[in-house]
Amino acid sequence: MSHPRRSRPVRVLAHASVAPRIMAEFNRRQFLSVAAALGGVGLLSACGGDGDGNGATPGADATGRATGGELESQLSIYTWGDYDSPDVLERFTEELGPEIRLDSFNSNEEMIAKLVAARGTSGYDIVVPTGQFIPQMVENDLLEPLNKDLIPNLEHMDEAFLSMAWDPENQWSICKAWGTTGFVYDNTVITRELKTWNDFLDAAQNEASGRTSVLDDPAELTGLYFWANGIDWTTEDEGDLQAAEDFLVGELAPHIAAFDSYPGGSAIPQGTHALMQVWNGDARIGIMESPDPDRWTWVLGAPVTQLWMDNWCIAKGAPNIEAAHAFINFVLAPEQVIDQVDYIGYHTGAKDVESMAEEAGLEMLDLVFFTPEQIETMKEGEVNSAQQRIVDIWNKMKAAAGA
Amino acid sequence: MRAPRFLLAIPAWAWLAAFFVLPVATVVYFSFGYKPGIFGTHATDVLSLDRYREALSPTFFTTFTNTLRVGVLGTLLCLVIGIPMAYWMAVKVSPGKRAFLLALVIVPFWTNFLVRTIGWQVILAPEGWLSGMLQALGLRENPLAILYTRSAVLLGVVYNYLPLMILPLFVAFDRVGPAMREASKDLGANRWRTFTRVTLPMARPGIIAGILLVFIPLMGDYITATVLGGARGNMVGQLVASQFQAAQNWALGSAMAVLLIIVIAVTVLVGAAIAYVVTWPLSRARRLRLADLEGLPEKVR
Amino acid sequence: MSAQAGAVELTGVTKRFGDAVAVDRLDLRIEPGEFIALLGPSGCGKTTTLRMIAGFEQPDEGEIRISGESVAGVPPHKRHVNTVFQNYALFPHMNVAENVAYGLQQTRTPKAEIRERVAEALDMVQMRAFADRKPSQMSGGQQQRVALARALVNRPSVLLLDEPLGALDRQLREEMQIELKLLQSRVGTTFVFVTHDQHEALSMGDRIAIMRGGKIEQLDTAAAVYAQPASAFVAGFVGQQNFLAGTARTDGVIESGPIRLRSERAGQHVAPGPVRAAIRPEYVSLAPVADLTAGAGHGTENTVVGRLASIAHLGETMQYVVEVDTGHETTSLLSRIPTPAAPNVHVDDEVVASWTPGCILVFSDPNAGPAIPPDLTTVPSTTPAHPPR
Ligand SMILES: Nc1ncnc2c1ncn2[C@@H]1O[C@H](COP(=O)(O)OP(=O)(O)OP(=O)(O)O)[C@@H](O)[C@H]1O
Ligand SMILES: [Mg+2]
Repeated sequence: MSHPRRSRPVRVLAHASVAPRIMAEFNRRQFLSVAAALGGVGLLSACGGDGDGNGATPGADATGRATGGELESQLSIYTWGDYDSPDVLERFTEELGPEIRLDSFNSNEEMIAKLVAARGTSGYDIVVPTGQFIPQMVENDLLEPLNKDLIPNLEHMDEAFLSMAWDPENQWSICKAWGTTGFVYDNTVITRELKTWNDFLDAAQNEASGRTSVLDDPAELTGLYFWANGIDWTTEDEGDLQAAEDFLVGELAPHIAAFDSYPGGSAIPQGTHALMQVWNGDARIGIMESPDPDRWTWVLGAPVTQLWMDNWCIAKGAPNIEAAHAFINFVLAPEQVIDQVDYIGYHTGAKDVESMAEEAGLEMLDLVFFTPEQIETMKEGEVNSAQQRIVDIWNKMKAAAGA
Repeated sequence: MRAPRFLLAIPAWAWLAAFFVLPVATVVYFSFGYKPGIFGTHATDVLSLDRYREALSPTFFTTFTNTLRVGVLGTLLCLVIGIPMAYWMAVKVSPGKRAFLLALVIVPFWTNFLVRTIGWQVILAPEGWLSGMLQALGLRENPLAILYTRSAVLLGVVYNYLPLMILPLFVAFDRVGPAMREASKDLGANRWRTFTRVTLPMARPGIIAGILLVFIPLMGDYITATVLGGARGNMVGQLVASQFQAAQNWALGSAMAVLLIIVIAVTVLVGAAIAYVVTWPLSRARRLRLADLEGLPEKVR
Repeated sequence: MSAQAGAVELTGVTKRFGDAVAVDRLDLRIEPGEFIALLGPSGCGKTTTLRMIAGFEQPDEGEIRISGESVAGVPPHKRHVNTVFQNYALFPHMNVAENVAYGLQQTRTPKAEIRERVAEALDMVQMRAFADRKPSQMSGGQQQRVALARALVNRPSVLLLDEPLGALDRQLREEMQIELKLLQSRVGTTFVFVTHDQHEALSMGDRIAIMRGGKIEQLDTAAAVYAQPASAFVAGFVGQQNFLAGTARTDGVIESGPIRLRSERAGQHVAPGPVRAAIRPEYVSLAPVADLTAGAGHGTENTVVGRLASIAHLGETMQYVVEVDTGHETTSLLSRIPTPAAPNVHVDDEVVASWTPGCILVFSDPNAGPAIPPDLTTVPSTTPAHPPR
């Protein structure tokens, strides 16, 4: 499963008034997004070692190595590309000392493969996995438990984004950012109002046939069907999976124009498609950069949709474990939160972040913050035995769409 | 004292072993393994051919057919466009301008492959500047609808791979040299016959190099096709990558990679065989051997 | 075929490359069936002339006629002319037989006829047994024969050969010269043969065209070019010469330092003024001073005393260098005498050099020397002043 959704700085947030021009479109962000979507580049670096890591002992020792002692002089963070405000990173070094070294990955799998191969000698201190990968990482002994005494700023986090299913006691992880999935449509082409995933699927097979894109990600694709049909999207039931395959491959595929994880990068600004499944932050960028933002309507997936969450974790064998704790505590502080939101365009899980963002004058916040009722409809994913099956469905759908 | 010959060959063998034999052998080995569980990528304690059975699915065939179509059409297009361009540069252009033109051919390589391809995505978008310009000039009524079609894929392929075709062709045509062409004309062959009977056959190594240089990487490339073809640009390379990445099933991915290598090799051989069969009657007609001259009287005046 | 078939006529042909004039208002008429040798120093325009006849270059001015017809604008493949290139230019991807058949295939000759004519052409150059070889599998001489067969098989009106023997070693070259000449007389094709080797030109050409600076300096038989060179350049380029600069007196005697020359050459008119005299080494004979007849020596016409500076054995001839002190400098005289008739002289001997008055050539323009001096390694015709001894 790859969620390379954050290879985008959202500096445009503060400069939304700048008229987007075509050439400005062709920028680093767009490149990074496609590079990330196509992934794979980093795969080879992740190879090596024949360990399947299955026999590793689960990290039972939950006391943690960090004691709150003196900070080391360095800190190494392995995260998604361009996923932290440089201002925040600079301030950390200025105020607390450790120099930060950043390294980036394109998918959870890539990151995990690297940690597995290194067996605790990766040299990374902080890693940022997506929630559903955390049990796998814990089981494979890839993470250090957190010493929450050293992270007092945890109190600034919104309870709603703590105690997630994959780590009920936040023993291993703390929310870094979260987002959800919905869709954007061109209201000059689709003149009726679309409200649910079922509307999405209907429009895709009618007005928007041949002008629809879906996320290039197996779980989000099968999710599309499960969310629309009231099926738990983490299902491992072969009947459900077969039904998803029948629909996606047999019925939806011919109407799909592209598998695009980042329509906000170019498809929305350039009006390439009429209907696009899209992550909220990406939708927001796309609409803000469109020469005609009113043309685009954002719809949060309904009746249910996805919740993905990336998390601060500490890698097993982290050489700078004190600095790592200090950093996590630092970024959770309210003073840093708004810079992070401004930079990445996603909710960080902090309390009152919405009102801070409003004060700061950030735009289109309805695509960043959601009501508790909406959040109620968002479900986390899971890495389970259906993984190979949904990848196969994804590949079959692509083959059918490309035939 | 001269170093024995095998000593000189060591770097070459080491290079081959390190960068070709070992990786391929690893992939082949993995392909007989299996995925041991949700969180494992591969295991090789039990070896079987099961991954190959899984790999040879209808999805693989559909995707592979699509890939092969892009590969063959793209290579042919590059060849058809590349031959006259390379010939023109090697034969008609003065040596001074030649360096400049070669530089122009190579310049796109200074930019990242992906950036170049996305550049075309921006140009070809329905609301991109090309579309806008065509509409403003009254050449089109509707927005350009080429992005995410097979034509866009082929356009991208030609753009990205043409230099790989032109460079070996240029070198080959250049090496034929004017003396051979003049000899041919001197013997009564016009320009076309000179081209088909002297220049082209003599440039054959370059043509083969160009075809392989384009075809083989093209078969593994899915960036060009995905960026410009969208759903129509489904390539087998991505299918293989999806097994390594999304499915975390290195065993199945390896089996697919091995199949891909085999099928590419077979395609190249089949292509060579077709080329041979097609040109055979022609070369047969022109062949002249000592045996053909036997029995003719010696008549020296 | 008309009586003109095989004739080549160049009238006022000029070819420029940028500012450089490669061929300069050249006139040349070659008779059908003739073997013409184009001889001249490097860069004098031989290849350019040939290329214009073949059609690879277009003249800037003037006209070329082949077999009586103007070929202006006619591309090479439509001219009934074939070329044997200096590097042979055999097609490496074809075997010998296919190379030879190439020209016939272009004219859509029936296959049976192609086979016959290829066999015939290969027999002509004794290469039939090599029919299956690729050019890379043959020696230079063999390739040369194939190139010849490949050109002749087309039965061209005119065959152009651009230094075809240049890449061969001396012995093979001499054999090929004889073969080529015999071949030409057999097939009767007009041959235009470019060379910068005077022996080759003299031994092969029915007539020899001596070129210089894009022009033809003299066009005549070997004997005429040798005996009656039209200019000091020709005199120096064909064979070797002792050149002596001097002044012609009103009585016809030429004074060159202490040397007095009187030409008794028939038809030679010597006008008073600065001149240049030329005597071939083979006309200079030597004798010991002791043999000096009364009245000879310094001041005597067509005789001079000097010191024998060197003796070289060239096989059938002996070559001597005699140094004559002219007061302020030393002039060297070269003499060649058939070995059986060699005089009994030694290095550093005082010797008398003399020559027959009938063989002195006089050129009135004293500056008109050879563009390149005849073989400097053997003939220093004048050397700078010796340091005082
Ligand atoms: N293609 C060309 N471009 C420019 N100058 C040329 C070209 N071909 C010949 N020349 C010039 O024209 C002159 C005559 O050249 P040409 O090749 O005819 O000489 P050549 O008599 O054949 O000499 P060589 O005995 O060295 O072959 C030379 O000064 C040469 O530099
Ligand atoms: Mg020449």
